[in-house]
Amino acid sequence: MKIIVDGKEIDAVLGETLLGAARRAGIHIPTLCYHESLEGQGRCRLCMVEVNEGGRKEVVASCTYPVKEGIEVTTSTPVIDKIRRNIIMLLYKRATGSPVMRQLFQEYGCPQNSLQENPEERCILCNICVRACEELGSSAISLIMRGTQKRVATPYDEAAAVCIGCGTCARVCPAGAIEMTEKEGIRVIWNKAFAMQACSRCGSYYASREEIAHLTARKPEYVIQSDLCEDCRKRMMAEKIAVFVSE
Amino acid sequence: MEKNLIVQPETCTGCRTCEMICSFVHAQEFNPLRSRITVFSYEKVGLSAPMVCQQCSVAACMQVCPVGAIQRDEHSAALLVSQDKCLRCKMCTIACPFGAATYDPGKDMILKCDLCGGDPQCIKYCPSGAISYQDPLQATLAKRKSYAEKFKTAFEEVI
Repeated sequence: MKIIVDGKEIDAVLGETLLGAARRAGIHIPTLCYHESLEGQGRCRLCMVEVNEGGRKEVVASCTYPVKEGIEVTTSTPVIDKIRRNIIMLLYKRATGSPVMRQLFQEYGCPQNSLQENPEERCILCNICVRACEELGSSAISLIMRGTQKRVATPYDEAAAVCIGCGTCARVCPAGAIEMTEKEGIRVIWNKAFAMQACSRCGSYYASREEIAHLTARKPEYVIQSDLCEDCRKRMMAEKIAVFVSE
Repeated sequence: MEKNLIVQPETCTGCRTCEMICSFVHAQEFNPLRSRITVFSYEKVGLSAPMVCQQCSVAACMQVCPVGAIQRDEHSAALLVSQDKCLRCKMCTIACPFGAATYDPGKDMILKCDLCGGDPQCIKYCPSGAISYQDPLQATLAKRKSYAEKFKTAFEEVI
């Protein structure tokens, strides 16, 4: 089907979201809680756009709005811009410690006000980390508590048995809110310390042992050289080839 | 039959131009750490072997990806990583038996040969013709056979 976004006619497939169709056509709509591999959550509301359906206008979150035949979409209007500025301002006030939010706050030209800032907080509760962990099959973290107390945590804030220490949550976090440290073969994340697997040849630490065990349990046929780092796997194959070619 | 990068270690001089070109094409900088191809030199036997993704038909990286971010490109038959879909869980880097998929912490992305969309740049700048982009079936029978045996033995030892 055809839809119009910012005066441009684009192709859309029944069942997909407005944001997905727009991104595919190269139209930029800002988001914080959206990741292409995870379903639209409609959490951050930054992807708000104006949809004109047969003369009736409404403001919707494009990441959860299924495309309809004949809609006309505007991604930036004074109303939308004001909504986005307000969202950024509120998220910045909540998660003042996040450099990403600080940058967005300045980029969007949000006005300063007397709302209290939270320099210690970096999380914007976008839930991407929780969804990513779920996707990996661990579900070690979730949103807990309600209202102003809401936060991401492992059950009872204890080291979660199902956490494999892969660090995906920290890498997908748009606000850089998840702390992961690695020192002398020990990775610490979510109050749990993980012994890293050292490469049996070069000794460099390349993955947590739980991560390798997790992958081996799920796809045993695809984990062959689990005691070597990527570089040494490459090097070993090169050596084999060199030996056979020189013979 | 799709074309693939064919490597001839006996012709490689170990100049590492392919590494430079690869990183320049993909990251606009001359940094071997950002290269998808790596050359290993063995001075004692006078050999260098460029190692690059083999675009396996049953690829471990593709199979272990939890979100299907690695897909085969219809045009070039290369296994492409969709950076927008990728969760950076690094499972593909653990699974690849050739270590051909690596994670670049600086750019926060998975590095893997994409055959430059069907027009590999490394072969254009390789001064000795050690890397070529061709239909594996078009190579001569004898050469194919001798290589197949070498690879077979190499794989057997690894697996």
